[in-house]
Amino acid sequence: MNLTKERIGALFFLLLSIIYGYYGTEIRLYPGDELEPMNARTMPYFLSLMGIGFSLILLITGKTHDKDDHDQSREWIPVVLLISLTLLYGLTLDWLGFIVSTILFLIGGFRILGEKRWRILLQVSIPFVLIFWFGLTQLLDIYLAPGRLFTGLFTG
Amino acid sequence: MLEGILTGLGTAIMPMNLFMVVVGCFVGTFIGMLPGLGPISAIALMIPITYGLDPASGIILMAGVYYGAIFGGSTSSILINAPGCSGTVVTSFDGYPLAAKGQAGKALAIAAYASFTGGTISAIFLLVAAPMLAEVSLSFQSADYFALMVLGLSAVAAFSGRGQVIKALLMTVFGLMLSTVGTDRATGVQRFTFGSIDLLDGISFLLLAMATFALAEAMMSVLNGEHKDDASSSNDMKELGSMKLTKEEVKEIAPTIGRSSVLGFLIGVLPGAGATIAAFLAYGVDRNLAKAKEKLKFGTGSLRGLAAPEAANNAASSGSFVPLLTLGIPGSGTTAIMLGALISYGIQPGPRLFVDNPEVFWSVIISMYIGNVVLLILNLPLIPYISRLLIIPRPILVPMILLFSITGVYLVSFNSMDIMIMAGVCTLAIGLRLLTFPMAPLLLGFILGGMMEDNLRRALLINDDSISFLWERPITLVIMLITALVLIAPLFQKTIKRIFKVETDPADLAID
Repeated sequence: MNLTKERIGALFFLLLSIIYGYYGTEIRLYPGDELEPMNARTMPYFLSLMGIGFSLILLITGKTHDKDDHDQSREWIPVVLLISLTLLYGLTLDWLGFIVSTILFLIGGFRILGEKRWRILLQVSIPFVLIFWFGLTQLLDIYLAPGRLFTGLFTG
Repeated sequence: MLEGILTGLGTAIMPMNLFMVVVGCFVGTFIGMLPGLGPISAIALMIPITYGLDPASGIILMAGVYYGAIFGGSTSSILINAPGCSGTVVTSFDGYPLAAKGQAGKALAIAAYASFTGGTISAIFLLVAAPMLAEVSLSFQSADYFALMVLGLSAVAAFSGRGQVIKALLMTVFGLMLSTVGTDRATGVQRFTFGSIDLLDGISFLLLAMATFALAEAMMSVLNGEHKDDASSSNDMKELGSMKLTKEEVKEIAPTIGRSSVLGFLIGVLPGAGATIAAFLAYGVDRNLAKAKEKLKFGTGSLRGLAAPEAANNAASSGSFVPLLTLGIPGSGTTAIMLGALISYGIQPGPRLFVDNPEVFWSVIISMYIGNVVLLILNLPLIPYISRLLIIPRPILVPMILLFSITGVYLVSFNSMDIMIMAGVCTLAIGLRLLTFPMAPLLLGFILGGMMEDNLRRALLINDDSISFLWERPITLVIMLITALVLIAPLFQKTIKRIFKVETDPADLAID
């Protein structure tokens, strides 16, 4: 049995539906709820069954061979780096504050996608972030907390 | 009705709202031009901005973005043969050959006139059909709503094309599963929260929309190497040439535009069948109706071949607002995202919208017309300048789109954990996209899940815990029969394709 894209997807959803159904059995019910025609577990049970059913149908009827798409080259490295950069941005935002972390995020993004000239990296990211920050805090009156690192440094 | 139209007109022509239409059309045109980023992403990117606005202005802005994105998609289809969204793929069949002949200006003008006419005709239909349907739907009960939601979800799956039906159904179920995370609205019981306080309110709709569309589409463009295309696309961009049409040309395309507009509106109203299917069908119908000599021109720069999908996709965009505004049930991914935004404003679309928030109901309809005028008189002359934005190098543009998607979610929740969750959901979305699973049904299932469960619960309560309402209530029975028909329709797809002689399968495209 060839493991085609459709079948990989079907197996993923089959596993997901089984796990979902299992955790569905752990939903707490109030006394007497099990006698109701519909309680908090009903929908999850039903969805789990539908998920299992459709996954099995796809697994059985899915394509047996994938279209040959060797000529379509995928650029995995920049995507993995951009997702890691997004995670890093989430981690640093509270510590470095909006301005610094966003400038670093943009510089990182530009570099990952091939822009290597530092003059461009700085000339685009710094003014853009400062204007964006000004617009958010001064025009739209949104409070953006300064980074914990700086508040820690300056307030002791 | 006249009172309603005047209320809508009063709201829509307020300077703030006019400004919103103009901004929406411009921003939408720009985002729509970027290959890979469709109307769903364009609207998702706008949602955080609309939170500070009043509901009417917010929905007007989003509607403007919607037409703008479709128009922008046509522009890049014509100029660089790279459709910005699936609804404008057909435009490139004849639009790009025209541009290659040095008639890009004429092609853009035809696209704009056809879109304008399509939008205008469908706005008039909407003006008549929506209030009528809203009044009829006031008599709908929970059972009928439940049935309608089942129909909406099934239709999206059924119209997703050959080989995609089961995958679309699976994605719908996945969306429904995600909607059950959080506190059960009826009993207050926690479901699938795994002890996390962040999950008590469920998964954020905005986070899901941004991560699966805006963020994932930008990442997919990088994955497919499109971020390197900036140099080639700017070189490929054709000279515009004259935008004037001769009398003969107008005569040639006028009947096509009229036909396609009506067809587009009717298809747009159907749940699940959006602008993409409307454009394909209108193209197929017009080619079938053409004389043998004219038929040969299709695909090589036929004016009719360009006008038909353009009128149809714009008309379908307006048509898709009918089920959203009157029944509160989105028929497409784009209107699903608008429904999510409306709910977050505290407005429940549906028949009550017509009664409770007439200013929102009517101003959206009126602003659709204003949006079309804006596209014609402002965007068309400015296209040479707007299209220059495509020259912004992708290595600069893509990180900015990522930033807007991320900050769009962060600035609503101020929780940096959301950014990390977005990265995770985006990774999953990329995986599913690579496995050729459509994303729009996920969003539709997620939005409708809670409402579906509530309506089913109410229907059971009213009907003494029996599901007999499915066949005992005539309206519910009719809707359920239509659902069954819609689900078996894919089995006859070959016949339908033979009738319309459509060569390219809309199945290969995303549902819009």
